[in-house]
Amino acid sequence: MQKDEIKARVKKVIAQVLGIDESEINDEANFIFDLGADSRQSLELVAAFEEEFDIEMDEDKALEVQTVSDAVDFIAQILV
Amino acid sequence: MKGLSASKTDHLHKIFYPESVAIVGANRVPGTVPYDILINILRSDFQGAVFPVNPRERAIGGVKTYKYVLDIPDPIDLAVLVYPSSVCHMALQQCGEKGIKSVIIISAGFREIGGVGIEREQKLIEIARKHDISFIGPNCLGVINTDPAVQLNASFAREMPENGNIGFLSQSGALCTAVLDYAQAKHIGFSKFISFGNKADVNEIDLLYYLGKDPKTRVILIYLEEISNGQALMKAAREIIAETGKPILAIKSGRTEAGASAAASHTGSLAGSDDICDAAMRQAGIIRCRSIEEMFNTAIAFAYQPLPENNRVAIITNAGGPGVLTTDASIQEGLRLAKFSDDTTAMFKKTLPKTANIKNPVDVIGDARADRYNIALSQAFKDPNVDGVFVILTPQSMTDIETIAREVVTVAGRFDKPIFASFMGEKDVAAGIDILQRNKIPHYTLPESMAQAFAATYRFKQRLTNPEKPFAPFTDVDKNLANKLLQEAKKEGKTYLSEFEASKILAAYGLPVVESRIVKSAREAEANADEVGYPLVMKVMSDDVVHKSDFQGVVLNVKSKEEAAKVFDRILQNVRKHQPEAEIDGVLMRKMIPAGEEVILGVKKDVAFGSVVMFGMGGIFVEVIKDVAFRVAPLGKEQSLKMIKEIKGAPLLFGMRNRPERDVDALEESLQRLSQLATDCPQIKELDINPLIVLEKGKGCFIADARIII
Repeated sequence: MQKDEIKARVKKVIAQVLGIDESEINDEANFIFDLGADSRQSLELVAAFEEEFDIEMDEDKALEVQTVSDAVDFIAQILV
Repeated sequence: MKGLSASKTDHLHKIFYPESVAIVGANRVPGTVPYDILINILRSDFQGAVFPVNPRERAIGGVKTYKYVLDIPDPIDLAVLVYPSSVCHMALQQCGEKGIKSVIIISAGFREIGGVGIEREQKLIEIARKHDISFIGPNCLGVINTDPAVQLNASFAREMPENGNIGFLSQSGALCTAVLDYAQAKHIGFSKFISFGNKADVNEIDLLYYLGKDPKTRVILIYLEEISNGQALMKAAREIIAETGKPILAIKSGRTEAGASAAASHTGSLAGSDDICDAAMRQAGIIRCRSIEEMFNTAIAFAYQPLPENNRVAIITNAGGPGVLTTDASIQEGLRLAKFSDDTTAMFKKTLPKTANIKNPVDVIGDARADRYNIALSQAFKDPNVDGVFVILTPQSMTDIETIAREVVTVAGRFDKPIFASFMGEKDVAAGIDILQRNKIPHYTLPESMAQAFAATYRFKQRLTNPEKPFAPFTDVDKNLANKLLQEAKKEGKTYLSEFEASKILAAYGLPVVESRIVKSAREAEANADEVGYPLVMKVMSDDVVHKSDFQGVVLNVKSKEEAAKVFDRILQNVRKHQPEAEIDGVLMRKMIPAGEEVILGVKKDVAFGSVVMFGMGGIFVEVIKDVAFRVAPLGKEQSLKMIKEIKGAPLLFGMRNRPERDVDALEESLQRLSQLATDCPQIKELDINPLIVLEKGKGCFIADARIII
């Protein structure tokens, strides 16, 4: 899967979980600081990414991912 | 009192007196810290403007929200960071860009978790330095200022405490909530309430200085879990007490003795970190408390009442037993029962019932009502021989408890002497106690606590009235020689300096060493004996044999050169038998010091407080008896004398029964000189002078053995 496709789907998931418009999500946006995710939503994001990409993520490592572009790289690595 | 720089003072002032506050990372989830902090500020009737910051919410708690702190159009005096630790640095960076100089970081997940937390905390420190920000925390409960001019509860404590004149500082956030709850039940008010957490930037010393200067704070309380800079703490305490007269009460938890067991000297093994902390606090004038209860019992004494001029107390009670209990407790605490003036005695005789005890403790009898308490209290206050009054009440069927409580308040308000109360019991006296507490009459469940608290105020007053003179260094010391000898030993790879080597260093500081020689053979011993003089003491010199007398490596009372030669061989045989691998440098010969009182003087380098001096009764049983006292070096004449008097064995030095008075002046000078050596040569890790033999008054004292560990 190409990175652009991963990015588009990542943004779609973030918009759904956080209830915001996709257009508000920059590549370098920080989930907490820029998008306002709280700790419950951070866990929901991890679960939603797993479902969207049909993958399993190490929860501790996944929660260390802070920005949209980091999430894209993290998922891309798993999909390789 | 310098203490804080002008900019730090200004930054701290804005933490407590902000006109605008940003809650950075606030959310709208009740029961979470980011939400509760915002709501606490809004509910505390804060007089300034509040700006929540959250990237997604339009408003929280009805207050307009901003995405970033940079988006707030108004200037911000104080930012309270409540974001998760992973993004706190981003928020602090924006605070810096906005020009905010005062910040509280509530969030946890920093140094206290190790690893990545340490890196995160370091990042905060770097950003703060770059932007000249002062911040409290991270990992703290927050800050409360009850001053009606601001009314700020920037914390996640459940309730705002009552306004008062006690400033409270705590390293533990959780303890703060317990303290607030305890204080609320007793109507104890606070001026400032500060949880400082990891103290990554603003630390307890800064806050002590701030409270020292705060006109709303009369008493300072501090709870500490670690002391990172003991010398700075002592300096701050001394300055604050001397310049403002404000008492500092402290609880220091964590009384670990780890490290003491690995020590290579008597002093090292005796000087536990808690003993040193205890001594250092006392030396600096800090009143150390063992529990929260003791701390507040003492705090209210200082916060509510004037200091007593002296220690003569009048006890007014309506029952004999509690009067006796209070008398016992008072004497135990070093107080005296006031001897009433003739006027007072005549007045009591005239106005109190015939069955009343008109001598101190005054028993106004079980049927006493408010009028009788009034007479007794008023007269006791008026008596020039009385420095303070203890009023005791037991609930009897005719006791009008609440009226008496109100009478106590009224009478106390007419006099400028302290009054302390103990309404004994629980249920029946509760309403009376409530009246006392609301009207700032210190109340104690037990007479013992009452006497203890009064004694603390009396000792503090004495310290203020008779401040100690600062240490005056001796000028006849050779600091260069001592340092040179220590450096040479270090170059040679030595960590242990024997008596012979230690003596040279001690002599450089005018400490009373006796000339000695080291001989390498029986023949040399025989040849030197006459010149050293009889009777001789001979002892093995070996870096491997630390406690020489354990292996019969010391022989006393050698009276001829022939005997000296024989003793030389015997000492070597003894040591080789018990410690065959020991490397022996020779045998030291010295003229024996006449019999006297054996004491130990020592030095230990403490991680928190620096060089510490120890004094105690000496000899080989020192670690068993443990009759020792400590002080942080350097120490002047008064502290040296206090130290000598502090140990249980002190009467042996001041003369008792058939034992003569010893040369305490010489001993006290040795302590001062040793403390100067310890201060000038911080490379000394441990030092023992054991024993120092103290001769009769006027005849001096002499070092019989010594060792230094570097």
